[in-house]
Amino acid sequence: MINPPETDLVSEQIREKVLGALSNVWDPELGLDIVALGLVYDVRVESGLVEIDMTLTTPGCPVSEQLPNEAQEAVIAALADSAETAGAQVQLNIVWDPPWTPELLSPLALEQLGFNKGP
Amino acid sequence: MPPASVPLSFLALAGAGMWAFGLGAWFGADRIIESPTHPGAVGAVHVGMLAFLTTAVLGAVHQFAPVVGRRALRSVLAARITLVTMAITAWALPSGFAHGPERLIQLGAISGSITVLLAAWNLSGALASKDGGVPVAGLRLSIIYLVITVAFGAVYAFDRQAGWFPLLPNRVLAHAHIGLLGWLGLTYVAVAEKLWPMFLLAHRPHEWEGKWAVRLLASGVPFIAVGLLFEIKALAWIGGIAAIAGLGCHIASLASAIKHRRRALELLHGFLFVSTAFLIAGIVLAVAAGLADVDYTTRSRLVSGEVAALAAWLGLAIVGHAHKIVPFISYTSLRAKGVRTGPSGKPLMFGDLFNLSLAKATLALSAGGFTLSLVGILAASTVLLSIGGAAIAVGAMVVTYNLAGGPRRATQAARTASTSPQPTPSNIPAHLIPKGVPQP
Repeated sequence: MINPPETDLVSEQIREKVLGALSNVWDPELGLDIVALGLVYDVRVESGLVEIDMTLTTPGCPVSEQLPNEAQEAVIAALADSAETAGAQVQLNIVWDPPWTPELLSPLALEQLGFNKGP
Repeated sequence: MPPASVPLSFLALAGAGMWAFGLGAWFGADRIIESPTHPGAVGAVHVGMLAFLTTAVLGAVHQFAPVVGRRALRSVLAARITLVTMAITAWALPSGFAHGPERLIQLGAISGSITVLLAAWNLSGALASKDGGVPVAGLRLSIIYLVITVAFGAVYAFDRQAGWFPLLPNRVLAHAHIGLLGWLGLTYVAVAEKLWPMFLLAHRPHEWEGKWAVRLLASGVPFIAVGLLFEIKALAWIGGIAAIAGLGCHIASLASAIKHRRRALELLHGFLFVSTAFLIAGIVLAVAAGLADVDYTTRSRLVSGEVAALAAWLGLAIVGHAHKIVPFISYTSLRAKGVRTGPSGKPLMFGDLFNLSLAKATLALSAGGFTLSLVGILAASTVLLSIGGAAIAVGAMVVTYNLAGGPRRATQAARTASTSPQPTPSNIPAHLIPKGVPQP
């Protein structure tokens, strides 16, 4: 679901930083990060604006208020680390279309949840 | 969402209620076996229904309805007053039944009426939501049944003195079934339609089981109540068949959630399986009590067993789900206070907020306790019922200690981490590291 990288180098660096930061945001119930859970749909970088589309497993999810705030905090903190990315604005959108389904779980996430244990 | 203190206070009070319920079954075992209408037995049953089950469910609904309805409670102050009046009801009424004086029963009836009216008004905003689906639709009906249950109870409470009509067993059973099936059962059946897919990561291809569970159970209860109240067997059977079909759909819904789950089975499922076994036992006992050609004493035991099995169904479901709900509420509260890492030094998880071994002990104690209690009632064994009651009481202490102690342990761990000279693991994001800890 994640868009192909932006063409210019800075945008690509920003995008990598954003995904890295989001990979450190954990769903406290499942013990998995939100990228592995397939909750991050899209990361766009345009003219200094970082736009993230993410969803939740269900609209009434227990962490429906907490998780997006944590994700935004993590991205802002990661971008503030270096001078090239410090000025970027972050906009996090919660989207419900398409709805999240377990098919979006990464193979690693499935394994950690007790499925696809492999040979 | 309401402040964490609102649902957590209800749930802590319910923990004390479960403990008292176990003690009531333990020390009142001989009276419960002797006659289900003995004042001591009525007192113990009301501790279970009010101090344990209703207090817990009411607290959970004050948390759940605003989240699912996406509308706030009308008043947090009203929720806190509801807790106080619920506590008065839950403890005054059973004490009055067991020991007197009669005025305690009337006090309980008045405070119970205030409790349900306050709760119904306070929750009405969230439950008016049009996009809450099956859970909100079911909760609207279950709150109506709560009001009806308490209205019955209040009339019965004053009837003890006024003597408007004799409190015959069939009339008492009508009250019990509205409360057990219409209020507590329907609430759980409705809420499960949200909780199960969420906790099991299950996306089911259809949701007809949940919809029909709510529809059939909600429509069956009035027939059961009127049939029992006026001794019209045909009506009671129509209602009973509808309710059993609804509960069958509820079980099918659980099976579907488990079939389509995307995570391994865990502790919650242990509680759900045992709880469902008690639901099936309750249905079998109800049918047996209605159909079997037995004497009054045996029928009375079957009906008592049915009530005990349904209480076990709901009690185990509540205790199991509490291991999910309490950590979630505590987590949100701890994060707001700046506690961001668990005792292991990694980001705080729900699993950090309770001890898994103690949770397993709770499952063993409560499942064993309810099983022995049920067998004790059916076999008229005071010893088994006493042991069962003691196990429930110990289980209540363990679960209350375990869930109440989790946030304290996490807070202490965060304090220790904030003063520790050891380096923080480099895989923790900077914003998750408590203030004062040297950053890698």
